[in-house]
Amino acid sequence: MAWMVGLHASLTKGQCILQPEIISWFTLLFPRVSTACLLALLSQFYRPGLVFLMLLGLDITSHWFQMYSSFLSGKTSHKDVKDTGNWLLKLYYGHRPFMAFCCVASEVLYIILFLFADEKSTSLLNVCRGILKQNPLTVIMFISTLVGWALKQVINVIQMKTAADACVAFDLKRSK
Amino acid sequence: MARPSAEKTPSVYLYIPNLIGYFRIIINFIAFAVCYSNRVLFAILYFFSFFCDGLDGWFARKFNQASTFGAVLDMVTDRVSTACLLALLSQFYRPGLVFLVLLGLDITSHWFQMYSSFLSGKTSHKDVKDTGNWLLKLYYGHRPFMAFCCVASEVLYIILFLFADEKSTSLLNVCRGILKQSPLTVIVFLSTLVGWALKQVINVIQMKTAADACVVFDLKRDK
Repeated sequence: MAWMVGLHASLTKGQCILQPEIISWFTLLFPRVSTACLLALLSQFYRPGLVFLMLLGLDITSHWFQMYSSFLSGKTSHKDVKDTGNWLLKLYYGHRPFMAFCCVASEVLYIILFLFADEKSTSLLNVCRGILKQNPLTVIMFISTLVGWALKQVINVIQMKTAADACVAFDLKRSK
Repeated sequence: MARPSAEKTPSVYLYIPNLIGYFRIIINFIAFAVCYSNRVLFAILYFFSFFCDGLDGWFARKFNQASTFGAVLDMVTDRVSTACLLALLSQFYRPGLVFLVLLGLDITSHWFQMYSSFLSGKTSHKDVKDTGNWLLKLYYGHRPFMAFCCVASEVLYIILFLFADEKSTSLLNVCRGILKQSPLTVIVFLSTLVGWALKQVINVIQMKTAADACVVFDLKRDK
C-alpha cells in the first residue's frame, strides 16, 4: 500500500502547488481517485467507516460541481475563482500557500490515520486518543493537519453551494 | 439562492426532480448507516434509490423541470453511491483491490466523458451517437441495453454484498458459493456478470474515446 500512499501524496501536492491550465482538469481527476481509494481504505480499517464514506462523497461531489460550473462559465481552471463572493474561498484561491496547506493537511491526516490504524480496534476515537499520547512533535503535526483538513472540508461545502448556484444562474441566463 | 423575478415559479432547488434527488441522497445515507446491521434492508434501500434515479428524469420531463443543477446532482449521486458501495465491498473482501480499481475506473471514465462532452459542446454525455466505436454506439443507441448494463453492474455488487461472508474475505470463494445456489440465483448472477463486464469494457472505451477527443480539441485549437 505504501507506493499508493506515496504516489497519492505526490500527485496531490503537485495538483495544489502547480498551476497548469487546461491540463488542470486531468490533475483534478487523479487526486480525486487516489483520495477516494485512500478514504475507501480507511473505511476498511475503521469499519464501517461511515465518516470516511461521507468524506469521499463530499470530495467527489464538491469537485464535480466545481468542474461543471467552471465549464459553464468558461473558466479554464477551477482555481480561477477570484471573483467569488465568499471570503474563505477568496482566501483559499487567492493565497496558494494557504490552499497548499489545506490540501496537504487533509491528505497527511488521512495518511496519519492509516499509519496509526490498529488491527485490533476499529474505533477512530481510540486511535486519535493514541496519537495524542505520542511525542509533542507528532501531536502538533496531527492537530495542524486536523485544522487544515477541517478548513478544506468547509471549503468543499462552500464550493459545492457556490457551484450549484452557478448552475442555477446558468439556466436562468440561458432561458432569457 | 437565485430566484426568477416576477414569476411564481419555484426555485430550481425546489423542483420536483431535485427534491427526489435529495430524497435519494437521504435514502442512501440511511442505507449505508444500516449496511452492517441489516444487509437486506441496505439492498432494498439502495435499489429504491436506484429506482428513484429513473423517476426523477420522468418527473423532469413531465413537469418541464429539467435543470443543469438537477443533471449534475443526478450524476454525482450515481457516482457517489456506486463509489460507496464499492468501498463497502472492499471492506468485506479486504483489501479488495479489484473494487478500488473499479471505483477508480467508474469515476475516471465518467469524468473524462463529461469533460470531452463539454469540449465538443454536447449537452449530455449520453449523446454519443456519432462515435466510431460499435459497442459505444450500441450502448448509447439502445436505451434498454444501456439500462441492462447499468442495472446489472449494481445488482452484481449487491449480490456480492449480500453473499459476503464475515469469515472469508475471498471473492472467489463467495462466487463459488453463489454458483451452488438455486438455478434462478445462478442465472441472475451470470447475467449480471455479463452486463457488468460489458459496462466495464464500455467504461474503458469511453475513457479512451474521451481522451482522444481532448487531444483532438487541443489540435483544433492550435490551428
